[in-house]
Amino acid sequence: MPEDLLPFTREVREFLDAHAPRAAERAAFRWGEGDDRVAYFGADPPEVEERKLQAARDWQRTRYASGFGWISGPPEYGGRGLTPVHELVYDGIESEYDVPDTGTLSVIGLGMIGPTILAHGQQAVKDRYLPAMYLGDVIACQLFSEPEAGSDLASLQTRAVQMKGDGEVGGGEWILEGQKVWTSVAQHSQIGMALCRTDPDAPKHKGITAFLVDMSAPGVDVRPLRQMSGGSDFNEVFLSGVRVPDDHRLGEVNGGWRVALTTLMNERATVGSEGSGPVAEALSAERLSALMRATWTWDDRALRRDLSELLADMLATGYLNARAFRRMQAGVAPGPEMSVAKLMYAQNLTRAAHFVSRVLGPRIIADTGEWGTYAWTELLLATPALRILGGTEEIMKNILAERVLGLPKEPGIDTTSPFRALPKSGGAS
Amino acid sequence: MNEGKEELDELREAVREFLAAKSGESAVRAAMKGAGEVGGGYDPAVWDQMARQLRLPGLALPSEYGGDGFGLTELEVVLEEMGAALLCSPFFATVVLAAQALLASADEAACARYLPGIAAGRTIATLAAAEGHASWDPAMVAARASRTAEGWELSGKKSFVIDGAIADLVLVVARSTAGPGLFAVDGGAPGLRAEPMTTLDPTRPMATLTFDQVPAVLVGAEGQAGRLMSRVLDLACVALAAEQAGGARRCLEMSAGYARTRFQFGRPIGSFQAVKHKCADMLVRVELAEATAREAARLADEAAAEFGVAAATAHICCSQAYLFAAAENIQVHGGIGFTWEHPAHLYFRRAKSCELLFGGPAVYHERLLDRLGI
Repeated sequence: MPEDLLPFTREVREFLDAHAPRAAERAAFRWGEGDDRVAYFGADPPEVEERKLQAARDWQRTRYASGFGWISGPPEYGGRGLTPVHELVYDGIESEYDVPDTGTLSVIGLGMIGPTILAHGQQAVKDRYLPAMYLGDVIACQLFSEPEAGSDLASLQTRAVQMKGDGEVGGGEWILEGQKVWTSVAQHSQIGMALCRTDPDAPKHKGITAFLVDMSAPGVDVRPLRQMSGGSDFNEVFLSGVRVPDDHRLGEVNGGWRVALTTLMNERATVGSEGSGPVAEALSAERLSALMRATWTWDDRALRRDLSELLADMLATGYLNARAFRRMQAGVAPGPEMSVAKLMYAQNLTRAAHFVSRVLGPRIIADTGEWGTYAWTELLLATPALRILGGTEEIMKNILAERVLGLPKEPGIDTTSPFRALPKSGGAS
Repeated sequence: MNEGKEELDELREAVREFLAAKSGESAVRAAMKGAGEVGGGYDPAVWDQMARQLRLPGLALPSEYGGDGFGLTELEVVLEEMGAALLCSPFFATVVLAAQALLASADEAACARYLPGIAAGRTIATLAAAEGHASWDPAMVAARASRTAEGWELSGKKSFVIDGAIADLVLVVARSTAGPGLFAVDGGAPGLRAEPMTTLDPTRPMATLTFDQVPAVLVGAEGQAGRLMSRVLDLACVALAAEQAGGARRCLEMSAGYARTRFQFGRPIGSFQAVKHKCADMLVRVELAEATAREAARLADEAAAEFGVAAATAHICCSQAYLFAAAENIQVHGGIGFTWEHPAHLYFRRAKSCELLFGGPAVYHERLLDRLGI
């Protein structure tokens, strides 16, 4: 670590020592003891979820009060004015302490939308929302994906039409009409960043505008979406005649694609860095070997080999992350490590779930009541999502091949015809 | 030298430039032709230049034995480049296997006697452990070491001895009444006969050595080879992993380069997702492999407790990555990739040979579970 970070490090430790207990040493694992759930998606009852969210907001407020709420943000909006490296240093130290999980606030809102508002927001919006977001009062969600715009985000159809303001042409408020889907944390959000079609006669990337929507405005309807795993972590968001003032527009009219790229660029830095938590713990070498011993499969040569292959890939992914983290701390721009880590993370968890299934045999298709067996269905049923969310495996591979290896793009993708003229799903052509 | 720092990049650049000039495809093919003959399989002039100009043999050896005192982190960079260039050279056998065995023995007299020659590039050395059964496990060793009036003598047969036919110094694992120990034998000693083996990978010559009452010097204490070989194999696995990561990276570069420029159906084949995704899969495996080899080297230099786990992980991940990349590289090239003239098969041969050199999946999965202590 560079020497000039040392005073900051001391300050972080003083703050954390004063406000949070050190993370307790994990008690030695014993088969049959403790919680046997392996939950990738949060499946807490509503009252527990509400309590955790309040704890997250409180902790964010505490951070903010001591200057750690937005370490790399500019001081005029409540930021600390330091660098992303300082943020990494803070995260590294905070992970040694037992503090509330602030993911609901930070992954999308503070991590992706905050930087977007800062880069593209108008003054009034920056003043109103940025300090409130980093204070923990305002949670933001991302209204991007639509039923007809998955991997091809730029084919989104939600319309935004501008009314005339005070008899003048333009300058008035916008009316939004359409449907968004797969929206995380929408049920907790006060604002949402929506991408809308504002010029259907322009090529698809050139007719999009970004807005900040008040989620409590009339016409915003958030409905939970039930996943194949049974829970509801995502939502559908219906926008019916939602009015948005023009000063809540982010970036230029029809310049929304550039704004969206700012948001997505910040996504890559946050996804794939999950080396801890209940799933990681359940997949430790210690726990997996205990599972094999408890099911009398420890001597099965084929399963031992599967276990080794799985652990080797999980360890390797950890080494890749650790290297990327150290490089970023040293101020070296990250290479493709983050995209690779995301792909591997999905692959490792998927393989782990199927490995455990092989170890358990029939005990994962029907519940015998035995501790630590049928509980694995929760992870098993979550894994298909990992290869899709945050960019499908196929899109991630395209990006790696095109940006890192310089392979040519798929020819024949129409980026010049008017959006209106492009073929759509189900349409006769 | 720290990762991401200029010194390591400069070292990499210097080695890459040197190998581009000295170990191009025609040089590799010329060296290959001599691999089946005694004294062949490498270019002595290049070996000499590697020592004199770049000081590579002594790079990671302690300064008290004539080395430059750097660590495995630096050696790893050199080995990545050697693997990428398919360098035909006794470097791995001499600098990794033999020198690390001497260091692991903690026998100061033996180190002082042999290491300065290795560091200076005067001595080509190797380690003879495996026998007909191909296992590197010292417990499987049958070669005998017996005391004589002057010291020791060895009898038995060793196989899979890398560069065994050109070594000036052979370190031999042989069994005395105290168990398996390490012994030093002069490459020209009476009673020692070397016979080149025919190898799948002609860029890495191997030999069978027959010992008939060959005079030898005990290195370290008697019966100590069990612990010593465990350490040497961990280090050798990381060094091999570096070569594999470098070779896999080169296969990926060859594939991506070809996919960008080869046209079929009126477009570069790399614009087809079937080919594009193959290349992305290779990239993922190569990035992962490189991370494991470099991390294991770093942990070795830090004498970290996790080193054994990292070494075993690197061995598995790099073996799989290289084999995958080498096979897919041929597929991306199509028919031309299956010809003798195209270099793709040289990487395929090297990848398969590296994977199985120390026993392959049958051994390395159990080693990881063992190192994890589960």
